[in-house]
Amino acid sequence: MDELRDEVQKVFRAVFDDDQLVLVDNMTADDVPGWDSLGHLNLVIALEKHFGIRFATAEISSLKEEGQNTGSLLALIKSKTSM
Amino acid sequence: MWVAAFSENASENNDKERNKHNMEKHTDPKINLRSMAECLLSAPPAKADDAFKEFVDVLRLAIAQGLYADAAAALGQAALPTLDYTRLQTLQRCRKQLRSKATGARQSVKLAILGSFTTKQLTDFIDLFLFAAGVEANIFEGEYGVFRQEIFDVQSEMRRFAPQVLFLATTWRDLAHHPNFASDAAEVSRVVEAEYGDWAALWQKAHESLGCQIIQNNFTLPPWRPFANHETRQAGSPTSYIALVNQTFARSAPSFVIIHDVDHLASLAGRWRWDDPRFYHNAKLPCDPECLVDYAHSVASIIAAQLGLAKKCLVLDLDNTLWGGVLGDDGLGGIRLGQGDPAGESFLEFQRYAQSLRRRGVLLAVCSKNQRETAWDAFKNHPEMALRQDDFSCFMANWNDKASNLRAIAQQLNIGLDSLVFIDDNPAERAIVRQLAPEVAVPELPEDVIGYIRTIEQHRYFQVLSVGAEDYQRTAFYQADQGRQHVQSTAVDIETFLRSLEMKARIGPINATTLERSVQLIHRSNQFNLTARRHSVAEVTRLLEDRAWITLTVSLSDRFGDNGLISVVLAHMSGEAFEIDTWLMSCRVLKRGVEQFVLNHLCSRASKCGLKVVRGEYIPTAKNALVRDHYAGLGFNQAGGDNAGHTYWELPMASQRQPLTTFIEETV
Repeated sequence: MDELRDEVQKVFRAVFDDDQLVLVDNMTADDVPGWDSLGHLNLVIALEKHFGIRFATAEISSLKEEGQNTGSLLALIKSKTSM
Repeated sequence: MWVAAFSENASENNDKERNKHNMEKHTDPKINLRSMAECLLSAPPAKADDAFKEFVDVLRLAIAQGLYADAAAALGQAALPTLDYTRLQTLQRCRKQLRSKATGARQSVKLAILGSFTTKQLTDFIDLFLFAAGVEANIFEGEYGVFRQEIFDVQSEMRRFAPQVLFLATTWRDLAHHPNFASDAAEVSRVVEAEYGDWAALWQKAHESLGCQIIQNNFTLPPWRPFANHETRQAGSPTSYIALVNQTFARSAPSFVIIHDVDHLASLAGRWRWDDPRFYHNAKLPCDPECLVDYAHSVASIIAAQLGLAKKCLVLDLDNTLWGGVLGDDGLGGIRLGQGDPAGESFLEFQRYAQSLRRRGVLLAVCSKNQRETAWDAFKNHPEMALRQDDFSCFMANWNDKASNLRAIAQQLNIGLDSLVFIDDNPAERAIVRQLAPEVAVPELPEDVIGYIRTIEQHRYFQVLSVGAEDYQRTAFYQADQGRQHVQSTAVDIETFLRSLEMKARIGPINATTLERSVQLIHRSNQFNLTARRHSVAEVTRLLEDRAWITLTVSLSDRFGDNGLISVVLAHMSGEAFEIDTWLMSCRVLKRGVEQFVLNHLCSRASKCGLKVVRGEYIPTAKNALVRDHYAGLGFNQAGGDNAGHTYWELPMASQRQPLTTFIEETV
């Protein structure tokens, strides 16, 4: 999981132009400057490319809904990769 | 405990080392930018992530230090259609920091984008690719889905913006008419006509009120087919209907509308991939986000071509580029080229591709480290060679460095260095040319020659807006030039030379047959172009209807052949003066007396209209220093000017003006 977290963190840093960003489980869009709807789209696109995965239509939008955080994002990516 | 403390220390030291290393590397971002851009271009896939990150770090540093022009140049090298969506987004954020900074942009354009989907990302990428091509774009982005209102509403914001180019970013979802599945061909054509009528009315309205060039998407064929394999034979099927709408657009759209072939982009990407609807349903993106890169690049390349920035000449290396092996070592019989050998066949295929570009008007040149005679001999005597000597407009095979040879090629062909694309299998030569002649486009190439075609296509260097008969003959024009240069070197003096050419000129207004070629020259001529005003087809069409305007075109032939239409002048009457808005000429016919010939014609027109003075102006650009003294040379008096070198000129009309001497006979 740590390896996965590192990789996801790398993607976050690139998408949100922040080399200092540290990914913790309970982060939400409010905690990351630039994570608005456009930023969210960019994040999803970058994650799909980086991990070679595909989010379902509904997952793309549900990832930024109430109660979702980076922990649930990590879990979802984990379920789609072998990492 | 001790171990932990030690390892912590060690990692701290490592960090310090790394920082120190970074500091050293970043002390001169100017030098670093170039080498980082080079690393990025040539990085193998495994190292691409790191190379990109390092490049962006240096780029940001350069911007922070105010090195805007250097940062813009580096960004121009890096922003390629081969990057993915995420990297392009990063570069676009850097590009935004350079907005309204002095970046040395060569051109500017006012562009309106009206779409029926979320155009934000597409607009950003178009802006980035234009910026990379040296164009500062001022973009008006319409609200989502209101493109018809923006055009029909006289009060709309877009109307006030007054774009030079309007891009209608529409999709098949905007088709308003649909046939029944069971409709026969006649009924389907009626539906297509109704559909076309709606769009034509929209274009006409935009044209009348804005006078701008329009770029209109065609429609992508759906990947799903209710009629399965029978789809294309059923007139009322979705595929048949959309294909017919596209054909009608291509055949019938007026010349002020450029049809952007989105359907081709979808076919390149693969239709299921292109049509990935997940991002449409989530964010109203028109296609798979990764496909937006190619989409934006395609639109930007059309706009750049409209501004005269399309490339004109493909310069080719020889050994291991046009054939396998080294001619000097392996000999004529030893090189790999032609049927029967897989490698030989791929080189042949690449030659045929280059030849197809030549046939449609792209100039070909050779730039190779070789013995000239040996290389020339290969084109004459190798039986499998597809390219022949007369395919090349310029042949540089010698031992000089390639950057100097490329400069010589540009000079000999009378085109800018930035009109060249250089193809060389040797990565070191490519890197050196990028350093020493950064104006030349030098794409990174795959190892296998068979990938060269795709690379050249992918960069859309040779974008075409329209094709005239002249395009097919261009190489012949340049070859006739070589004949003329030969006469020039043997003639005793200039007068004898000019007489010996037996020049004949046809002069007349722009009309339906010369419109496209005239506008092409207006867009492409850089050097002999007094004002470099890039009037669109739409604008020129309007001038033709305006009685105050006079348009002139000159076609020149001589004993070596027909040069075709080589000069365009646009002027308008203002009070007692004749004001020259545009005066341009193809550099092929420099120093032949065409300017004097044109001025004689203008003066006699002005006298006939009872005008007292002919006025001209010179607006300096990066490339038109050639004509800085054009008006002085023709006897005009300077009537003003500014610090930027923009000058104004006047020629009073004497009652008995003596025409300037030329050796050109006027014909009809």
